[in-house]
Amino acid sequence: MADTPKVLEPELQNLQDSSAFANEVSEGRLVTEQMLLNVGPQHPATHGVFRLLATIDGERIVRAEPVVGYMHRGYEKLVEQRDYRQITNLISRMDWLSGINNELPLALALEELMEIEVPERAQYLRVALAEMNRILNHLMFFQSFAAELGAITPTFYAFREREDIQYAMETVTGGRMHFGFFRPGGLKEDVPKGFVDMALASVRKVIKRLPDYEDLLTGNEIFKQRTINIGTLDREVAYSYGVSGPIGRGSSIDMDVRRDEPYLVYDQFDFEVCTGSHGDCFDRFWVLLHEIIESAKIVEQALAGLPPGPIMGKVPRVVEAPKGEVYIRTENPLGELGFYLVSDGGRRPYRIKIRTPSYSNVSALPFVLENTLVADMIAILGSFFFVLGDVDR
Amino acid sequence: MRLEPADALDRVKGALGERVTDARLNHGQVDLTVELDKYVEVVRILRDDIALGCRFFTFLSAIDRSTYKYDDDDQRETGSAGSQNKKGGIEVLVHLYSPDKIWHVNLHVPLDFDAPVCPSITGVFRGAEWHEREAAEMFGIHFTDHPNLTTLYLSEDFEGHPMLKSFKLPARSYVKDWPGAKDPDEAAAAGGR
Repeated sequence: MADTPKVLEPELQNLQDSSAFANEVSEGRLVTEQMLLNVGPQHPATHGVFRLLATIDGERIVRAEPVVGYMHRGYEKLVEQRDYRQITNLISRMDWLSGINNELPLALALEELMEIEVPERAQYLRVALAEMNRILNHLMFFQSFAAELGAITPTFYAFREREDIQYAMETVTGGRMHFGFFRPGGLKEDVPKGFVDMALASVRKVIKRLPDYEDLLTGNEIFKQRTINIGTLDREVAYSYGVSGPIGRGSSIDMDVRRDEPYLVYDQFDFEVCTGSHGDCFDRFWVLLHEIIESAKIVEQALAGLPPGPIMGKVPRVVEAPKGEVYIRTENPLGELGFYLVSDGGRRPYRIKIRTPSYSNVSALPFVLENTLVADMIAILGSFFFVLGDVDR
Repeated sequence: MRLEPADALDRVKGALGERVTDARLNHGQVDLTVELDKYVEVVRILRDDIALGCRFFTFLSAIDRSTYKYDDDDQRETGSAGSQNKKGGIEVLVHLYSPDKIWHVNLHVPLDFDAPVCPSITGVFRGAEWHEREAAEMFGIHFTDHPNLTTLYLSEDFEGHPMLKSFKLPARSYVKDWPGAKDPDEAAAAGGR
């Protein structure tokens, strides 16, 4: 009997150790071995080929490093070898979800340098098409974010609405993704008969149905639990990374090029700039969702007040930008898209620096992912709404 | 409150004084040329001065002006003072934006063409990290004090700096010239059909 305590002693010791161990774990003082977790380059949640190297300590991400460049096509070099009209079709492929928006800043930059006046009808149609493309893009991210969190139903709703708008745009441009429709000075051609009614019907359907989809997700308890206070991005940090678009506005950056420095005819339309307050996944998603309605309102106003007239300004047969430098930015669906165009007077640009929104947005990911849980990683990645073609260019 | 470009230029001149070598307006945006040793200081003032408020980091890149067709009367000077390449050097270009006062500034920093070295501004704007990595691999600029100056897009063993004008696209440099005439006028001159 006297031996029993001796036998039990080590076990007792173990028990005490383990309770101390549990205490240390719960207080976060225990340092365990770190592990490197590789996500991608082919991961369904990355919308392209994106690789994330996450150093994790238990369930916590200590450090995350995005590895980009798998889709680097070198657009900045390629555009130096092509003339301006060829470039329109090339840059349409940067952010493949918002092709027509990508073409806009180049056209605007050339019009600024060449001092071309664009007819009003072309400007209105540009606004309408750009905003329709924004709805397409936002609906895509609306469904993909939900799908990544495990809700598959929004996918079917979003694609039903997308199809109508997509069809309306197809009747105008002939393309479904890469439109190649904006020209320096105006548009490729006028819209066909019946387009206005078709487009109006498609966006009105979105306005009517979107509140239902909103309830489906933003009122959903599981969705809230997985997004509220997850992956917060502070406003000042967002500024220093140059985060813009729905992600920036989710972090309460009240910034929208369409309102602050109106290009085209945006100053004639009535729309609101939605901002979030906490900068978490939920706010980013909320902003994205509400921008769909605002865009639909702009399309309605633009098409209702569509003036008659020509769709092309006076453009010389050979597009040659005079010497000069100009920075033009537009509000792309995912943020600020800017072109710094340097021209030495030739048919080809001397240099174009393309400032894409996803690039700056994704560069803030290491900061946001630090000290989050592995389980939240996909929610955070999904809420950053990036297109890899836009990051890699 | 919107700041008109001309007012912005006045304020910049007042706040920066002798630190900038040239300040002008270009298409409604303020254009500054800054010497290398004042560069980080100027960026910090642009961000921290409340009257300026350029808190939004738009982009950082570089321009290789070695084949730019300058006019004889072109006043623009790039390339650091005293170096051989006054015109047609390489420069770092930084674009900042003030979200509250709505004005833009383009910062041109001329570098030595043969050995471009530039201080990093990652201490001022965190977002500059990726932009500097890209400029480093594409133009061969060395950014001192950068926390992690590895390649961003290119593979580790890639040779050369693709965005330099001396780097020719393989598709353009190896192929033979088109054998026939390139446009009707040329064909007529050559007596062809």
